[in-house]
Amino acid sequence: MIRRVLPHGLGRGLLTRRPGTRRGGFSLDWDGKVSEIKKKIKSILPGTSCDLLPDTSHLPPEHSDVVIVGGGVLGLSVAYWLKKLESRRGGIRVLVVERDHTYSQASIGLSVGGICQQFSLPENIQLSLFSASFLRNINEYLAVTNAPPLDLQFNPSGYLLLASEKDAAAMESNVKVQKQEGAKVCLMSPDQLRNKFPWINTEGVALASYGMENEGWFDPWCLLQGLRQKVESMGVFFCQGEVTRFVSSSQRMLTTDDEMVILKRIHEVHVKMDHSLEYQPVECAIVINAAGAWSAQIAALAGIGKGPPGTLQGTKLPVEPRKRYVYVWHCPQGPGLETPLVADTSGAYFRREGLGSNYLGGRSPTEEEEPDPTNLEVDHDFFQEKVWPHLALRVPAFETLKVQTAWAAYDDYNTFDQNGVVGPHPLVVNMYFATGFSGHGLQQAPGVGRAVAEMILQGSFQTIDLSSFLFNRFYSGEKTQENNTM
Amino acid sequence: MLKMIIPTMMLLPTTWFSKNNLIWINLTTHSLIISLIPLLFFNQINNNLTSHSTHLSSDPLTTPLLTLTAWLLPLMIMASQYHMYNESPLRKKLYLSMMIFLQISLIMTFMATELILFYILFETTLIPTLIIITRWGNQAERLNASTYFLFYTLAGSLPLLIMLMFTHNNLGSLNIPLLTLMTQNMTTTWSHNLIWLACMMAFMVKMPLYGLHLWLPKAHVEAPIAGSMVLAAVLLKLGGYGMMRLTSILNPLTEYMAYPFLMLSLWGMIMTSSTCLRQTDLKSLIAYSSVSHMALVIMASLIQTPWSFTGAIILMIAHGLTSSMLFCLANSNYERTHSRIMMLSRGLQTLLPLMAFWWFVANLTNLALPPTINLIGELLVVVTSFSWSYITIALTGLNMLITALYSIYMFITTQRGALTSHIISMKPSFTRENMLMFMHISPIILLSLNPSIIMGFTP
Repeated sequence: MIRRVLPHGLGRGLLTRRPGTRRGGFSLDWDGKVSEIKKKIKSILPGTSCDLLPDTSHLPPEHSDVVIVGGGVLGLSVAYWLKKLESRRGGIRVLVVERDHTYSQASIGLSVGGICQQFSLPENIQLSLFSASFLRNINEYLAVTNAPPLDLQFNPSGYLLLASEKDAAAMESNVKVQKQEGAKVCLMSPDQLRNKFPWINTEGVALASYGMENEGWFDPWCLLQGLRQKVESMGVFFCQGEVTRFVSSSQRMLTTDDEMVILKRIHEVHVKMDHSLEYQPVECAIVINAAGAWSAQIAALAGIGKGPPGTLQGTKLPVEPRKRYVYVWHCPQGPGLETPLVADTSGAYFRREGLGSNYLGGRSPTEEEEPDPTNLEVDHDFFQEKVWPHLALRVPAFETLKVQTAWAAYDDYNTFDQNGVVGPHPLVVNMYFATGFSGHGLQQAPGVGRAVAEMILQGSFQTIDLSSFLFNRFYSGEKTQENNTM
Repeated sequence: MLKMIIPTMMLLPTTWFSKNNLIWINLTTHSLIISLIPLLFFNQINNNLTSHSTHLSSDPLTTPLLTLTAWLLPLMIMASQYHMYNESPLRKKLYLSMMIFLQISLIMTFMATELILFYILFETTLIPTLIIITRWGNQAERLNASTYFLFYTLAGSLPLLIMLMFTHNNLGSLNIPLLTLMTQNMTTTWSHNLIWLACMMAFMVKMPLYGLHLWLPKAHVEAPIAGSMVLAAVLLKLGGYGMMRLTSILNPLTEYMAYPFLMLSLWGMIMTSSTCLRQTDLKSLIAYSSVSHMALVIMASLIQTPWSFTGAIILMIAHGLTSSMLFCLANSNYERTHSRIMMLSRGLQTLLPLMAFWWFVANLTNLALPPTINLIGELLVVVTSFSWSYITIALTGLNMLITALYSIYMFITTQRGALTSHIISMKPSFTRENMLMFMHISPIILLSLNPSIIMGFTP
């Protein structure tokens, strides 16, 4: 009788049980739930590590005393010296934030790798001298237990700078300063040049300076890896991420000239993870801007330069990315193995690369020819029109050469005076700079790292006085000009 | 006694029903008023317990600690105002409720007549402290720290529970004054040795004794400021208080069993003081200094002479106030620079001179400068340990020297020297902070004028 009363379909479903269906309401993912519960019970039982807080091992730590933005050679050098100069082991927590762990666009991997002491500023000479001694003793500085010693492949072939008539006097005075600082440089006349380097054409050369010791080129990637290994073994935290925000507190104060300034203090750094919206606020006491070509962006995030132009508040960090091309060519009749890195009067330069008659070189473009820094594409016409003629003039053997490859690299170019920015910012009181070296950052990295670490730990520069590289010069207008840029 | 417990319990509805902008003011005022009540207990005619009810009583050992606890609550509330600023009102009220709950259990712990009541409340104080450390601590390591804290204390105190049950079975009652009259002689048999160990372990862990002190640096460093203050000032003293209560039933075994712990305390004093010299983290330094001072209290409780008990009580009060003040100072530094490393905030005297004065006074009391009560306590303990054995003077004297060394090191590193360039702009000291420091130091100074009220059983 029931069967007649109930509606047909419903009766079927209720009274009969089809094969393959479950009874009961929740047939959703019961298997998954069981395994989750099993995992949870296992995690609470002894024997396994119990982590009740969500897993944040891919994120940087929540608190770090020093955050270094940028993991290139300058950032790692600062981290190394901070850890080396702290008087107690494990004293300071340092975090290095690097956006790209493959270093595909960083200046370090694409750099020519030269080191020379032929600068006009005594500070630059001292920095390079210290770097040379650092590199010479690199296996004492960067020794890590159970790791093989570093082989920097240092070619001590020296630098040869050529000067025309009008630059000869400047070169002489520069060499005098260099000799005073202890660099081993000598001046050569065109005859001496032809004697020593028979492949050179001394047309238009009045004077040349040749570095005899502590100059040459090395493998920058090896230095980076060595620093990275050592710094990790010293307990520095690494994190792959991008700095997106600084949380700071500010105070309005009046200077002695009754100018209203806003003093800022950065409390937190927001580090955003790659390819995700996840970010970690890292509480910090000091931020070091070692972001190389992108330092201006980091400075803008901290509020540097937000103000009426012409005031200290409104002085921006004048570091821009500039694209530089490097070309590699093959020339079997080219100069021999003793060839130094030759910097021509026209600004073109070249050096030997390897043992197979390969050379690499390029030229700093003039202001009008500056390539567009939005990408790292190489302009081969630049070599044909702007570089090759000068090379062929200087070294006749280079009239027949074959370009093998080329790449482009960013320079963290300081548009103010092409020298680095080191030290604290006057208004954002806990941001230190170690950037803007416009192409010679690699060779000055050990010295600059040590200077910044001394500034943080001891309050002032102890070994090399880099007070002329402080940020204040952008506001006061005093240029620390370097006359020997390549 | 209800005149103290009911107002403290009523602080809970005060927190929850106050308007959001009046929570701090209400709580601080009311807890200050409550802190005046234990002053009524100081005038005790005889050395016996002054009963307030059948379950709660006070005596010259309890009253100073009770006053310290009651005085500390408004200080804790004042110290927490800054870092709780950005939290939601619900969270703020929860935090304050935890502190008040802790306060209630602490008041009743110190007042308990019955040892089982004391034990229950002793364990109860763990829970709000755990919640404060885990929920409001600063870093991810706080989970580890709170686990250490909880399990060290629990593991130490479970044997105590068993012993209390055993004693109740044997003697019929665990009333403190009755126990002193009913005790049986404890001899040096194995079982009596174990009884002694079981009773004392909980308090050794709490003090902490040198070998069992691992939880303390972790818990202190990871806790928020109120947690650090209450841990350093009061919770450590629970251990001392318990030891002094229980030694009355453990005679004369204590003279025999106390040897290894006296040795550990003497050695631990020097070890932890030396560790202080090597610390980079400011809070960690103050935590190790706590261990060092409490080692003296352990020594005093185990030697069991009248002078040593006096010294222990004075030292507990003095250390409670000093340690709490040092933590507040370290916290004021941390709130400004967001780093606890001493090296990164140097030369603060040029920037915050008044705070430098508080730092100076706190470090002076920490190194037991005469005529503060810190010195009187330390001196009494050192004298009694000398009378127990001549050789200890070398170790205790060395400890006083090293204490002076690290206190001055802490002062010189943070206050003197050239100001580092990244802290030239800091928020100036708030009135609240200066008031906090003053309220820490004024009891020390006032008590230095008349320490007989905290001298315990023998004035």
